[in-house]
Amino acid sequence: MSNIVLGIGDYGASDRPGSMVKTYALGSCVAVTMYDPNLHVAGMVHVALPDSKLNRAKGAECPGYFADLGVPLLFEEMVRLGCQRQGRGLVVKLLGGASVMAGNDTFNIGKRNVLAVKKVLWGLGMGPVAEDVGANYSRTVSLYVDSGGVTVSCPGRGQWQI
Amino acid sequence: MEPRISSDDIREAIANLPILSPNVSRLLQVLSTDDYELDDVVNIVKYDAALTAKVLKVANSPVFGLVNPVTTLDRAISYLGKWIVISIILSDNTGELFHKPLEGYDGGQNALWRHDLFAAFSSSEVARLAKHDFEAELAFTAGLLHDIGKFVFSPFWEKVVPEALGHIEEGSMADYLEAERSLTGMDHAQIGYEMARHWDFPEPLQQAILYHHTPQQAPEEFRALAFAAHLGDMCAMMAGCDTGNDGMQYPLDDGYSEFFDLTSESLAQILLEAEIQFKKAISSLSVEEEVDK
Repeated sequence: MSNIVLGIGDYGASDRPGSMVKTYALGSCVAVTMYDPNLHVAGMVHVALPDSKLNRAKGAECPGYFADLGVPLLFEEMVRLGCQRQGRGLVVKLLGGASVMAGNDTFNIGKRNVLAVKKVLWGLGMGPVAEDVGANYSRTVSLYVDSGGVTVSCPGRGQWQI
Repeated sequence: MEPRISSDDIREAIANLPILSPNVSRLLQVLSTDDYELDDVVNIVKYDAALTAKVLKVANSPVFGLVNPVTTLDRAISYLGKWIVISIILSDNTGELFHKPLEGYDGGQNALWRHDLFAAFSSSEVARLAKHDFEAELAFTAGLLHDIGKFVFSPFWEKVVPEALGHIEEGSMADYLEAERSLTGMDHAQIGYEMARHWDFPEPLQQAILYHHTPQQAPEEFRALAFAAHLGDMCAMMAGCDTGNDGMQYPLDDGYSEFFDLTSESLAQILLEAEIQFKKAISSLSVEEEVDK
């Protein structure tokens, strides 16, 4: 089956039939999924923070941790597996970016992550066709290679499709 | 609302808890003194052969990448640093406390340990940004112990949690803590406090556990520590290290700004640093077992 399971700051893509790319418990982190429906290539990155300027060393060691480095690297991985460099035909979805129940904006890292990811996607000429972001619950996300379907789950809330 | 669970039954479960290991009692007493030194922690480890062996094993785990194996306790502890040593002592001397699945919270095996460890590193990072003097050295341990109440509460909570989640979803209960109180007459913070009293934890830790969701209500002398535990808890949930169906279901008490100089950038730094330390700790402490998120 060779499923790919991504931790915080990991990215990966697969074209192996029957497999999936999965990440657990996003919290305020954001998962960006990319899928090529013609080639059946599925990729995902688990972004934790918006900008690698915060810590260059961490950016060098684990670029997927930051939106500005992780999203382009995921795209490069999709291209390596045969997707068009123009990004045409890629189905992009955003998930996660939840926030704690806060009255101030300091703790709204989830929202800042979503905005940063969108900015990078726009720079690459892409945009999400669907998103399940924000609110105050953590999401586990699976992207299926065969169908491109995205399943989201959360303890106590069940499972749904995006 | 009439509680669905008898608080007498919960208190009986606390009274029936096994006695705390002398190692943990000594460690917590040492940590709560103002001027403790690393030697005081070394002295706890060195008289316990199993604990000494564990510390050496962790120091020699591949995570630390040592060319020559460490064979003495002093060297091992200086490599690991005090936070990891404290984590080993607490993890190895508290039975199932941190590792048993929390069915009531939909939390798997080690979910509490992972949550508490991330919270502990976050709390100690938060403590660096303190505006005033407080027991900052206790912030890590307060973060590590803040949710112990879930261990006792989980089997009781399991019976009513579907109803609680329904109330939260439809908005008839504001948050998870209110749901716990409404349906059982108690909440996990209060139960943790009673456990801490049962085990005679030092007073600052008892108070940090009791007020980790309501730090503004803590007695003034313990308020900063309660806020450090509160913010560590929030950071762990933001990082996805929650204990299950209660993840991100508690309000932030923004009174923290009186005690800590926290900005969106410093918060991002805290999450980053805590994640680095957490990953290292979880990998090295799990040398004998598969890490399963």
